[in-house]
Amino acid sequence: MDMLTSKIFLRKTKRGKVLKVVREHYLRDDLWCGSDLCKKCNQENSEVLDDAPISSSTLCACPHYVVVDTNVVLHQIDVLESPAWKNVIVLQTVLEETRKRSTNNFKKLKEIMATRKDSFYVFVNEHHKDTYVERKPGESANDRNDRAIRKACSWYQTHLEESQQGREKKKKVQIILLTQDFKNREQALKEGIPAYRVDEYVKSLKDFPDLQEKLAASHSDDNAENREPLFPEHWAPTRIMTGIKSGKLLQGIFHCSRENFLEGSVSVEGQDKSILLQGHASLNRAVDGDIVAVELLPEDKWTSPSGIVLEDQEDQDPGDQIEKEEALLTNSTKGKDLQPTGKIVGIIRRKWRQYCGILLPSVLAEGTRHLFVPAERKIPKIRIETRQAATLSSQKIIVAIDSWPRTSRYPLGHFVRALGNIGDKDTENEVKLTVLLLEHDVPHHSFPETVLACLPSMPWMISQEEVNCREDLRNLDICSVDPPGCTDIDDALHFRELSPNLYEIGVHIADVSHFVRPDTALDKEAANRGTTVYLVDRRIDMVPELLSSNLCSLRPDQERLAFSVIWEVTPNAEIKKTRFTKSVIRSRRAYTYAEAQCSIDDPLQQNELAKSLRGLNKLAKIMKKNRMEKGALQLSSPEIRFEVSTETNDPIDVISKPMLDTNSMVEEFMLLANISVAEHIFKHFPECAVLRRHPVPPESNFEPFLKAGKTQGFTLDVSSNKSLAASLDAAVKPDNVYMNTMLRILATRCMMQAVYFSSGTVAQVDFYHYGLAAPIYTHFTSPIRRYADLLVHRLLAVAISADVTYAELLDRKCVQQLCNNLNYRHKMSQYAQRSSVALHTHLFFRHRVQDEDAYVLSVRQNALQVLIPKYGLEGSIYLKEKDEDSKSAFIYNPDEPSQTCDNITIRTFDRIVVQVSLDSKYVQHQKIAVHLVQPQIAGLSVEPIKTVNVSEPTPKKLKSGN
Amino acid sequence: MAEILLSEAEKAFIHHGVQDDLRCDGRTRLDYRPIILETGLVSNASGSSRLRLANSDVLVGVKVELASPLSEKPLEGRLEFFVDCSANATPKFEGRGGEDLANEICRFLQMSYMSGDTINLAELSVLTGQQCWVLYVDILILECGGNLYDTVSLAVKSALYTTQIPSIKVATMDGDQPELELSEDPYDTKRLNTQNVPCLVTLMKIGNHYLVDPTPEEECCSSSGVVVAVSGTKKITAVRKIGSGSLHPESLVSMLKTASEVGTVVNKILMNKLLEEERAGKTQKVGFMR
Repeated sequence: MDMLTSKIFLRKTKRGKVLKVVREHYLRDDLWCGSDLCKKCNQENSEVLDDAPISSSTLCACPHYVVVDTNVVLHQIDVLESPAWKNVIVLQTVLEETRKRSTNNFKKLKEIMATRKDSFYVFVNEHHKDTYVERKPGESANDRNDRAIRKACSWYQTHLEESQQGREKKKKVQIILLTQDFKNREQALKEGIPAYRVDEYVKSLKDFPDLQEKLAASHSDDNAENREPLFPEHWAPTRIMTGIKSGKLLQGIFHCSRENFLEGSVSVEGQDKSILLQGHASLNRAVDGDIVAVELLPEDKWTSPSGIVLEDQEDQDPGDQIEKEEALLTNSTKGKDLQPTGKIVGIIRRKWRQYCGILLPSVLAEGTRHLFVPAERKIPKIRIETRQAATLSSQKIIVAIDSWPRTSRYPLGHFVRALGNIGDKDTENEVKLTVLLLEHDVPHHSFPETVLACLPSMPWMISQEEVNCREDLRNLDICSVDPPGCTDIDDALHFRELSPNLYEIGVHIADVSHFVRPDTALDKEAANRGTTVYLVDRRIDMVPELLSSNLCSLRPDQERLAFSVIWEVTPNAEIKKTRFTKSVIRSRRAYTYAEAQCSIDDPLQQNELAKSLRGLNKLAKIMKKNRMEKGALQLSSPEIRFEVSTETNDPIDVISKPMLDTNSMVEEFMLLANISVAEHIFKHFPECAVLRRHPVPPESNFEPFLKAGKTQGFTLDVSSNKSLAASLDAAVKPDNVYMNTMLRILATRCMMQAVYFSSGTVAQVDFYHYGLAAPIYTHFTSPIRRYADLLVHRLLAVAISADVTYAELLDRKCVQQLCNNLNYRHKMSQYAQRSSVALHTHLFFRHRVQDEDAYVLSVRQNALQVLIPKYGLEGSIYLKEKDEDSKSAFIYNPDEPSQTCDNITIRTFDRIVVQVSLDSKYVQHQKIAVHLVQPQIAGLSVEPIKTVNVSEPTPKKLKSGN
Repeated sequence: MAEILLSEAEKAFIHHGVQDDLRCDGRTRLDYRPIILETGLVSNASGSSRLRLANSDVLVGVKVELASPLSEKPLEGRLEFFVDCSANATPKFEGRGGEDLANEICRFLQMSYMSGDTINLAELSVLTGQQCWVLYVDILILECGGNLYDTVSLAVKSALYTTQIPSIKVATMDGDQPELELSEDPYDTKRLNTQNVPCLVTLMKIGNHYLVDPTPEEECCSSSGVVVAVSGTKKITAVRKIGSGSLHPESLVSMLKTASEVGTVVNKILMNKLLEEERAGKTQKVGFMR
């Protein structure tokens, strides 16, 4: 037997060359079958497959092992997660094919196999001398793999047969092949291998009747073939590729509109304006986040986004019909503000994941086809098949999309798992939280043993050697200033006068890189988590609590390791000298912002710390002024905090976060430290420094902002950040104080996302941080809660020769990959924070109906978007109810824009009074309802209620506005 | 070619042997030495062969690549020869020592393949004027045991015979950019028709006679000779005189005639052997581990 073969295949390179690739392939005779009953193989205690497996299938009553085909793994991975599966043989052929076809499913399969080592056995058939098959002339790769799978099955059959010759025929272990491929099944049966479809088999498992719910929708729906297709065809991948190459098609990421489910846009890299898509046919089955190919329409067919707010509001299952969309997409503003318009001709990559949501109450509760409503607005409803609709209807469930055939109005999916009962009061919050974290892909599992093993053992002391190689700053009067209740203190400050004209200031940052060493399990976990996520009532740590709240936290009166930046500055905040050092410090006191403010303001306090704080504050003010002059922006987004009842954990009041001098004082020094560090690491590592940039937003982003300014009679200059800052400062109206804040909120929404990047991947001119008006910037000051800072610490430590470097740190590609993950995690954590606030707002309004001041954020064709500053809450007031024709005849003026009814005109930024309540028509899908109170308009506005409380008396009258 | 030191007596002996039609190794004037041939032993190449003629040893690999055709021949693909003289063959080849010989062989091969009768280069065209196959024929001379031209040409022909050209389809044309699609099946290939590919026959003149397949010693005794490229159709596609001596027109004519006859026979035998090898199917490769 020749144990060396070679695999030969041809490959076309990107540049059009044809390569012949030859891989040596070695065969072995020492790969064991993994069965307990086998007497031939020399395996030692590694048998996964039982000696006498018990069959719970009615289809195949005799004991058997199961071999799964690739298509089972690809299409029915969720079924495989069930504990029903025992004695499964996974062939290497299947593993490799899965890896090639779907990395996602491959990962899942790996996870399943890792957690259920006793049930899944991987047989390396490709390297076994008796089961390796070579591709035959004229055979497709697929056919060869099918043949390899069958060959492995029949090998197992004969191999096991020899070991169980004495057994009764009924007790002999059989090999069963599960495959969805008709041809493979037929061929297997011909070769004497029992083969079944996976759905057949799963349905026959009498011990697990629920498992069949998880079966993915079968793609060969019989009557689907005959139905009229609802959507245009997707182009073949090769046609799309050539189209993109020649520039006829554009490739981009599809974003569904938040307001109108029939509208979406595709952002194409390198193009200023995104491409507008309208209507079912143009969206052509794209789901938010997919990478799609778009064909531009001729310019005379371009339109502008319709002003209306549209939700896919079918409360009933409409079946597979598309409603007449002309009516839904009426576009009154044709001919104005035209945007490139296109249609999707194909999908390059699906970004489907699992979605969380609820079942739509169905007319036919006992039916099996139901509609699932995802919690995310941008995701379409999903059709699933389930028999448990009655039990699931009160639960939050997770659903995965399988396919979206042309004949189906909604994508087809299957039920994955239930998260828990929504109506259940005890679990409700917990369920909602889990949902929230799942939705935003926040890793929230508790830290595994391997990670905890990397932590230092307690009690922990700073060793003398450690002190020797650091600068001893324990004699300095260092203090920290943080929000109340903060346990992960990562920064502290000091100030002292060296001479009347020279001050020394220091920023001391927790030395997390001392504890989190590269390439440990702890490091990998932190890199994956990327950031600590702060939710309203809890914190999801990036590093275990021992570090975040104790060893790294710069607690008062405890010796801690720090990384210090120390400047010498003149009283005019001119920097004379900067140095970086690893140090040992002892913080004298942990102030809250308010306490620090008191110390500064109270002239009676004359201790060292109060003096330092005053000195710091003075310098910070000068620095801030300088920064503003350079064009830094002061933007605004409403930030609120919940007062949570200690007993019920329900929010009882909402407070907006105050902004004190000390807040901006700390911020100023952190900015200074970040900029100093950024310059230093970029000087030492021009190729791989981890920096943060905030791209200049394209002018087109500012359109809604400019429009809003115009309605108020302000000309806003957005040509640079400096002019923007100036025009924002100038845009003040004495009668509407909140207007300026609103403008700032709107401006914030025009901004780009700031991102981390590796300096080698971007030209130096693009390092600019627009918001801070800094030519170079990074994050250095919060290594406890951000992984980027940790990387920066490591770089800086190497730059001042306090630490050694490692390969990944200096590889700009590795660094960029890390940065990409950090950017993603950062974005997701922000969304999670927002959702958490929204969740608590819901809880807050559960027993309340309140009248509040609100401001009009934007005026739409059929709705007003309003902002309620007190809760930082946004909502829509629909002006025309669908069933009411002309009771409240608002006239929409798109130029201003404004809505007029009788003699009342509502414009952007107008102050109105609204009534806020929780709309709990559906237990599952609660939302905040906003109704107009003032100005009074017949048929639309509701009666004012003064702080009505449904279940409990309010302790105090709530003041509106701020 | 590699020079050998030979005494006058030895030369005279060879001379007399040729006169009597009995050479030192027992051959007549028109006998070849034994040939050992194996094809397909370089798995990375599209076609390959190794040919050993007594002590001359040559390894040939053919690589196919896509390129744009020459502007004067938009309908055809092309062959490119490259000869590398390994310093293993003789110390003189070290550094750039073998370059002259390599160029000489290269040029002559190119010349002998130029005739339209030998190989149909239109078969190598993929897309008129845009894409064609180029066959890079790499010849490695491992040992010099005389009669290098013949050895090389036989090895090249065998390698070309086994060359598999991937089948390629022009999937779409978009403006000026063709999109080529490679067949997914590695067995889906086509072969060149190598029936008429020329063999080179070297005739050396010693005294009044000429002989084929000279050993290095015989080459040393001869002052002149010709290398003739003979195609499968018995046609002579190229001729080249070697050595410093002169040839009488009469003997030249007779030499050409003989060469064309010998070439045809060699061609035929080679084709038969290649067919035979192909019919035997996949066998254990021998390579250099004999």
